[in-house]
Amino acid sequence: MPAPRTIRTVCPRNCYCTCGMLVSLDEHDRTVRIEGDPGNSATAGHVCLKGLSYARRTTYPDRILTPLRRRRRGNGFDPLTWDDALDEIVARLLATRDAHGPTAALYYEGSGSHGALGGLSMAFWHQFGGCTTTFGDLCWPAGLEATRLTYGANLHNHPRLTTDSRFILIWGHNPAETNVHQWRLILDAQARGATIAVIDPRKTDSTDAADVHLQPRPGTDAALALGMARVIVDAGLHDEAFLAAHAHGFEAYRRRLADYPLDRVAGLTGLDAGAIRALALDYARTSPALLIAGFGLQRHHRAGQTMRAVALLPALTGNVGVAGGGWQYANLASHCLRELPLPPEPPGMRAVPVSQVARHLETLNAPPIRAAWIERGNPATQNPAAHRVRQALGCLDFVVVVDQFMTPTAELAHIVLPAKTLFEEEDLVTAYWHPYLQWRAKILDPPGDVRPETEIWRALCERCGFDTRYFPTDRRAFLRSLLPVGHESAIDELPLRALDLSGHGDVAFAERRFPTPSGKVEFECDEASTRWGVDRVPEYVPLDEGCDAPMRTRFPLQFLSCKTRDRIHSQFGNLDWVRDVERPHVLDIHPEDARPRGIVDGARAAVWNDRGRIEVTARVTPGIRPGVVHVLEGWCHDGDPDVNALTDEGVTDMNHGATFYECLVEVAPA
Amino acid sequence: MSGAGFLLDLHRCVGCGACVLACRIENGRVLATAWRRVLPLNLGRQPAGPTYFLSVACHHCEEPACLAGCPSRAYEKRPDGVVVHHEERCLGCRYCEMTCPFGTPRFDEDNGVVSKCHLCVHRVDAGLLPACVGACPTEALRYVPATAVPPADAVRFVPGFVDPAGCRPALHFRTPAGTRRVELFRHLGEALRR
Repeated sequence: MPAPRTIRTVCPRNCYCTCGMLVSLDEHDRTVRIEGDPGNSATAGHVCLKGLSYARRTTYPDRILTPLRRRRRGNGFDPLTWDDALDEIVARLLATRDAHGPTAALYYEGSGSHGALGGLSMAFWHQFGGCTTTFGDLCWPAGLEATRLTYGANLHNHPRLTTDSRFILIWGHNPAETNVHQWRLILDAQARGATIAVIDPRKTDSTDAADVHLQPRPGTDAALALGMARVIVDAGLHDEAFLAAHAHGFEAYRRRLADYPLDRVAGLTGLDAGAIRALALDYARTSPALLIAGFGLQRHHRAGQTMRAVALLPALTGNVGVAGGGWQYANLASHCLRELPLPPEPPGMRAVPVSQVARHLETLNAPPIRAAWIERGNPATQNPAAHRVRQALGCLDFVVVVDQFMTPTAELAHIVLPAKTLFEEEDLVTAYWHPYLQWRAKILDPPGDVRPETEIWRALCERCGFDTRYFPTDRRAFLRSLLPVGHESAIDELPLRALDLSGHGDVAFAERRFPTPSGKVEFECDEASTRWGVDRVPEYVPLDEGCDAPMRTRFPLQFLSCKTRDRIHSQFGNLDWVRDVERPHVLDIHPEDARPRGIVDGARAAVWNDRGRIEVTARVTPGIRPGVVHVLEGWCHDGDPDVNALTDEGVTDMNHGATFYECLVEVAPA
Repeated sequence: MSGAGFLLDLHRCVGCGACVLACRIENGRVLATAWRRVLPLNLGRQPAGPTYFLSVACHHCEEPACLAGCPSRAYEKRPDGVVVHHEERCLGCRYCEMTCPFGTPRFDEDNGVVSKCHLCVHRVDAGLLPACVGACPTEALRYVPATAVPPADAVRFVPGFVDPAGCRPALHFRTPAGTRRVELFRHLGEALRR
């Protein structure tokens, strides 16, 4: 048997890890092995369940391999040729534009596949005369903005420095499931003597391994952070030398702390005052201490102020710019590529917040949305108020969906176009945890009639008589031209190894220079007020739909829909290899909440609010905080309604994020 | 010297299933005949104990019951301790399914014989790690070659595992040390014994 050939590539999913991968193929181009690339020192020679499953996913029997057209009557789709598909798409889109204007077409792209070439869709839409698109992000923007306002940039230490830490505070995050390579490093630090503390309303694989676990009421994290700061300052454990040199507005912040005495914070958060005090003192006394914040504590509309409050704790204790310390939220060091050359943006482009697609599909006027193009996303289950997104998409004149599989969104399309997989087109992939820019190799020709999206957009431009010079003829040369100035020759090295082109070094802010207006860490921030209308100093404000909201009389339970190791949102959940080992799809409910409602472990339960209703099997468990219930998100492959039938279309206080975890519900036996 | 085998660190294993998939890819197994499985304990997260995961395949026992009970001599214990099943000699009588206390041999209805983990001897003999060990993202699952001794803190029994007396499986566990989980772990062990 000839030896398999092995090619280095990268996983482009929306995930912290962004693993370097080694893919081995036999002489028939079958994937025989997927391993981690040891050259990526953050993911260090391992992938995960999902990465391994590409050996199945890329050749899965359900994969869409030709363009499909929905039947005029009845259900189902029929294959059609690319010529017919493109003719119909061009005719329908141009008719929509000519009758209603270009912004009657919605272009929606999700986060399903990362790569620099994804942005080339705009070469079509700009020449089309514009379109309606989305702004903001469903996931993390409030935390990004809070970090930028506080430290000036979203950078953090190289993951490998985790093992230098003596105290790791993990906040609203479950790395044992969602950042498994970070978890390996956290366990290594723990084995070397570090204390691990986790703040999470749920008991998770991460909290199980931790030395300390606090379960606050969801949405009260700002109060907890300010209360901890008060304990630290009262005990004189703040780093006065660091603050004197590098803090802006510390006195205003210190005055704010007067509002957060321990007994009040204990009441707001539902935590034991002694436990808060002990955590604050341990965090402040142990050096270096690393604070890792997840996305979970910023999925509500007070997200930005919450994240500012939490992000200041490392600065308060002088843990910034040191190995083993720091504020770890997102590391955008690899986001160094030049902008794609695109045709000029036409006047009259229109954009709506991505968390409010349902509302705008329903109500947008002058013109209303009549057609939609959706790629790399599955808004019919993954967006807030997903059931309304689904309904609204079903009412449009014309919908095109590009995907590898028949997702609930693709089911709504008039035309479905087959999407490439990560093995079928070169690209450059950035990360948000480690600093590496990585080369996604073209390993195989696309099977069947599959074309990469760049070729779809080029073909559409050709048919419309638009300029096609924006699309690459030589992908390697094109991607080379996107590399940062002075690093163009890296194009030869990228296929061999992950590269850090940022020049930032392993320790973020090692020089203690902060690109904020004051040049310091901003405890008080004018831009927070002028741009976002929030207080200059972080504060805790109760949620409209939170643990102290009047609405609790009708819907008393806070509903969380967290992420699982088994999927990236709704991706991978359709694969047999993943379903063989996946976590059960259940409603976690505390015995104290289950008993009075007659909810029995293993029985079906209905979860509802004014927005929607789902049915799930109940798992009565003391592993969740009373008053909080939880269902894993992204389960949409059995026709079950997704959790987003319940979620609200709110927008975060900063940067246009979604508010998935600000969601009150009631539960009863189904 | 004990035989080659696996070492599973229960504090590091997050039950992600990468080992199961890596084994299936390497050895061409479907789910029904998969050689490696992950058995979760306490998924309901009862407060007395942690949730943990037993990632198990063949334990390459010092006294293999499969071998002792096989009428067709399909099993071989190699000098390095690895217990290998030779499918071409297998009658499909399924006695080993009954004699193995761990339920390791898997019967394949399609070809009428059993099969089981062979510790990736084709890889190990070439100086590579078993596929499951190589894939473990938290480095919880490790390979202990016959020439090495398991670490001093390794144990042969944890709550949820079959009593290892008799066969002397070459699977060792590391239980958490120096953390809150130790206490939780002890409580769960006591609860399961009651």
